[in-house]
Amino acid sequence: MIEIRNPPKLNLKEVLVMKKKLLGLLLSTAMVASVLAGCGSSGETPAAETPAETPAAEAPAAPAETPAAETPAAEAPEAATGDVTYAGELEIMHYSTSEESEGNGGSDGFRTVLGLWDEAHPDITLTQNVLANAEYKTQIATLAAADDLPDVFLLQGMNTIDWANQGLVYDLTNDIKSSPYYADYNQAYFAPFTVGDSIYGYPALTGGTCTVVIYDKAMWKDAGFDSFPTTWADVEKASEYFNGQGITTVAFGNGGKWQANSDFLSTLGNRYTGPDWFMSLVAKGGAAFTDAEFVSALAETQRLFTQTEIFNEDFNVVTNEDAREYYISGDAAAFIGGNWDESYIWATLQETDQDKWNNMGFAVLPQPADATKAPNSQNIGLGYAVAINAKLANEPEKLAAAIDLAEYITGPEFASYVAENYALGGLTKVADVDLSAFDQITQDFYNWSYVNTETCEIYDSYITNAVWDVLNTDLQTMMNGDMTPEDVAANAQKAYESNY
Amino acid sequence: MLNSIKPKGKTIFLYLLVPVAMFVFTVFVPLITALVYSFFEWKGGPQKTFTGLQNYATLFADKTFWEAFGHNIYLVIACIIGQIGIAFILVIMVNSKLVKLKGMHRTFGFFPSTISAVCIGLIWNMIYHNQYGIINWFLKTIGRPDLCKVWLNETDKVMLLVSIPLIWQFIGYYMVIMLSAISSIDGEVFESAEIDGANGMQKAWYITLPLIKNTMLVCITLCIAGNMKAFDNIFVMTKGGPGTASMVMAMYGYQISFNQSNMGYGSCISVGIFVLSLLVIGGSQGLIKYFTREKEA
Repeated sequence: MIEIRNPPKLNLKEVLVMKKKLLGLLLSTAMVASVLAGCGSSGETPAAETPAETPAAEAPAAPAETPAAETPAAEAPEAATGDVTYAGELEIMHYSTSEESEGNGGSDGFRTVLGLWDEAHPDITLTQNVLANAEYKTQIATLAAADDLPDVFLLQGMNTIDWANQGLVYDLTNDIKSSPYYADYNQAYFAPFTVGDSIYGYPALTGGTCTVVIYDKAMWKDAGFDSFPTTWADVEKASEYFNGQGITTVAFGNGGKWQANSDFLSTLGNRYTGPDWFMSLVAKGGAAFTDAEFVSALAETQRLFTQTEIFNEDFNVVTNEDAREYYISGDAAAFIGGNWDESYIWATLQETDQDKWNNMGFAVLPQPADATKAPNSQNIGLGYAVAINAKLANEPEKLAAAIDLAEYITGPEFASYVAENYALGGLTKVADVDLSAFDQITQDFYNWSYVNTETCEIYDSYITNAVWDVLNTDLQTMMNGDMTPEDVAANAQKAYESNY
Repeated sequence: MLNSIKPKGKTIFLYLLVPVAMFVFTVFVPLITALVYSFFEWKGGPQKTFTGLQNYATLFADKTFWEAFGHNIYLVIACIIGQIGIAFILVIMVNSKLVKLKGMHRTFGFFPSTISAVCIGLIWNMIYHNQYGIINWFLKTIGRPDLCKVWLNETDKVMLLVSIPLIWQFIGYYMVIMLSAISSIDGEVFESAEIDGANGMQKAWYITLPLIKNTMLVCITLCIAGNMKAFDNIFVMTKGGPGTASMVMAMYGYQISFNQSNMGYGSCISVGIFVLSLLVIGGSQGLIKYFTREKEA
């Protein structure tokens, strides 16, 4: 208290007089700078801004932390395909940060296997530039705009066509077909990274659902349901019971605007349109956002969020991270999110609430009354692929090293690691995954994800973000009841026609 | 006499060279490249197609952009009244003889300005939070749960709600500027006014305000400039949502450039922000000059 009070009192006068002069000078500079910077910083000059922002601190830490002990080191050199004669630097940019890898099997596997490859190639200095996913997306888009992509990076499905047409990404078709693991690849995962007959990446990390209903079996039993309802009508009935108890029936967070698309509409839409409609949209085969089936899906989304009391009322403000806390704390009886939410809830509940953890159940999105297709479907896929900068074509040795790296970190080494440690699957199939070592919840989620459900596509793995950004913004307005499904569809169609 | 301490032209030039070069590189070069890019269709990557004024035609017809501009103007007005108005009142109060612990008031008043905008956004997100927020808690405690709302989801109120943290954050900043200006006013002026029987209000209105007029002009200009490029608080709190209900120009430029990878149109928006900001700042200064001149006459 005294410390704060006294010093300003003592020399207030001199300070203020000095300050005034200084301020005059500072202010005039600051004013001009801030007026101009407002324009300078809002997005137009990627080249000048990016290098300074690169969080170099992350990069050196990454190789050092790699837990090489987990997999026998002897396996590593054997699994790499050899023929790597390159010596020098190789740069990779990805978003499996050490924090992310703590709860997320895909990230942990990615970091581990990348570390193994690095160890097996002492002549190559592998520089890792690691950012959190949201920053990664911005940064990689900036680098692509500046034609300054790193040697190896993770390509998001919806950027594939744009970047391939711009000649930014190396065409890997022949390399993938001659990969030693080709026979074991899950071919369906290549679809978002394919343009015409060319494939531009090795799908990376683990295949996980984007729409899973996680529910508390005990709470739903109390409400009179032995398992999660298969129709929205039953969920509405249940919501009467839960609302009476002061509990949210289903927690959902769309504060980031993308969640309603990735974690909801992408699956719900498939229930109305079926998979052919979306593939036709992707192939520009005549399907349109304004088609009646898709508009019905939008209308049902709007009805569920505005006219029923199923969801937490702040769904449009909170993020999925906030919404899953409602479930964890027991304020909500169920939660809709992606596999990344499942792994977080799983890990948190295991530590804090064994009973609730034991009661975790998984379900697909309930079926709307007027939907006719694929009631047991959920959207699953690999959203990113390991891709290579097209410029490497000029350096065959470096290119060979980059391809070897890409094959290795998506190959059997990675697949076995995530299967054995996390019961997750990636690009390369692993025969006979022994699930018996895992707890029941993990086994349930594995079976739910890969065995017992039908799959459908993740919308924003395809087409282009210029379309999805427009749709996502309008969806948020629509889910507040301030826009009609028809207008949302028309805007999306307009963006689709002018950008795709 | 003067020449003996005045450095040579060359020396001045060399000293200035570094900061000016940095300034040119970080401000003018981006500005000019943005202007150039704004004439291209550029969806990221090496390929750019010259489209002339096409982007500007789109900009003029872009409802979202003009809605965002309207929100910026709203912010400017709210913040001139809120930030500078409240800061002026607080300054008068802090300067009053009745107030004890002046140093403490100044220090704590300035505190919010030192917190990063992201933290402020998160703090106010908690305050507005539907389930755990202090506002809804208060309403429930006083027995009016019917007034509880998902505050940041109120389309028609969201702009007001996101401007409150902005106002709160910068009051201390303007307080410091005004305090320094007031301290340079000769104390005798106030003393003679007091002898003439002027009360606190009269002193503030007839003496303080006219004597710090130029500082107030600087404050208003800073306030306008700051709010025309508002981004960070709002980005953290609502991301421009619900829908575009709290979208501001800089955020729209960011969204177009990075979320939609439309760098050409994004650059065009940046140029638009620049021109509009200059117009608003120039216009407001003209207005202020016009009104103050009339008073003097």
